[in-house]
Amino acid sequence: MLRTILFTAIVLAIAIGGGAGSVWMALHASEGIGAVQIGDWTAFPDVGTPDADTYSKARFAREGGLALGRAEGIAFVAPRDSSGALLRRNCTYTIEGSIPSSRFWTIYAADADRVVLPPVVRRVPALHSYEMLRTSDGAIRITIGPDPAPGNWLGITGSGSMQLVLTLYDTPAATAARVFEIELPQVLKVACND
Amino acid sequence: MTRLLHVLVLGLFGAGIVHIAVLFLLPLYTDRDAWAQLSDLGDYYTVTTIGGGAATTPLVRSVDPLFAAVACRFDLNDGVLHVEAEGRAPFWSMSVYDRNGQNIFSFNDRTAADGKVDFVVLTPVQTIEVRKELPERFVNAVFVEADIDDGIVLVRAFVPDQTWRPAIETFLGGVSCTSL
Repeated sequence: MLRTILFTAIVLAIAIGGGAGSVWMALHASEGIGAVQIGDWTAFPDVGTPDADTYSKARFAREGGLALGRAEGIAFVAPRDSSGALLRRNCTYTIEGSIPSSRFWTIYAADADRVVLPPVVRRVPALHSYEMLRTSDGAIRITIGPDPAPGNWLGITGSGSMQLVLTLYDTPAATAARVFEIELPQVLKVACND
Repeated sequence: MTRLLHVLVLGLFGAGIVHIAVLFLLPLYTDRDAWAQLSDLGDYYTVTTIGGGAATTPLVRSVDPLFAAVACRFDLNDGVLHVEAEGRAPFWSMSVYDRNGQNIFSFNDRTAADGKVDFVVLTPVQTIEVRKELPERFVNAVFVEADIDDGIVLVRAFVPDQTWRPAIETFLGGVSCTSL
């Protein structure tokens, strides 16, 4: 009798614990189902649309966002640099290369919950393509870090991890079929203030 | 030993069922989605600032820091929804979301007729009704056919720098969300 109760309890514990735990883990994996990986950047082109898979839908319901539509744009997130290390707010990074065609794009740093990081005093927390300084071949180079830098500088403060969000607006790359064709610049670590 | 294996297999099988059940029920029972957050801020057809300078909602994080955005909830059972605004912005875009916050239709200022915010959201049945006799005020409007009851309309506008902020806020402040 006691054994039956014990075994039933174990079965239920595995079922409920394992079931809930596996959903939690699946929803917290950043390289989840439905993700498109381009270099250091990840996008979820289907997220927040009726075409999304069940995992993306569940993740989206918990995050409570309103995703950009196909005609609006697409957001790419880079949580790691090109060496695979997590991005940190006390390090300096550069982004160099060309950005896919779009009407304009913006870049900002955010924390793990996608909340925008506070800017360095009296600066805006994001950069956009209309104000970029470009090299002679049209490529861009952005320095991201706590110390002021010449050229395009996105200032960040604080410590801990961060992620970069690059959003392309009004771009043909926003459709899921085309998103695999584009190339995005690498995120390179320069130095860290430890 | 066989008993233990039996328990383990049964447990894993149950875990699979729980996994699937939780996954499918999550979107239905969440109280953190966009609809729930907007419901706390205002009634249907209330234009709420959800991004930009004056915004205070958690929904802010779905809006780019260089953007300002307003949203309103609607119910097409009350009649067709007409959203319009005067003025222009360097870039604006709008999206229609269903009750679960899924983007079902979007367009931007280049897709709109004369770059003005003027659109009508309606169900396929209402489209037939409206087509019969097109009201004068809908002549320039973009028609968005959506087979939904409840939904959210969101208008975003790009704020290139702080000097644009007052102009964009006036533009978005003029967005009206009316049911006809």
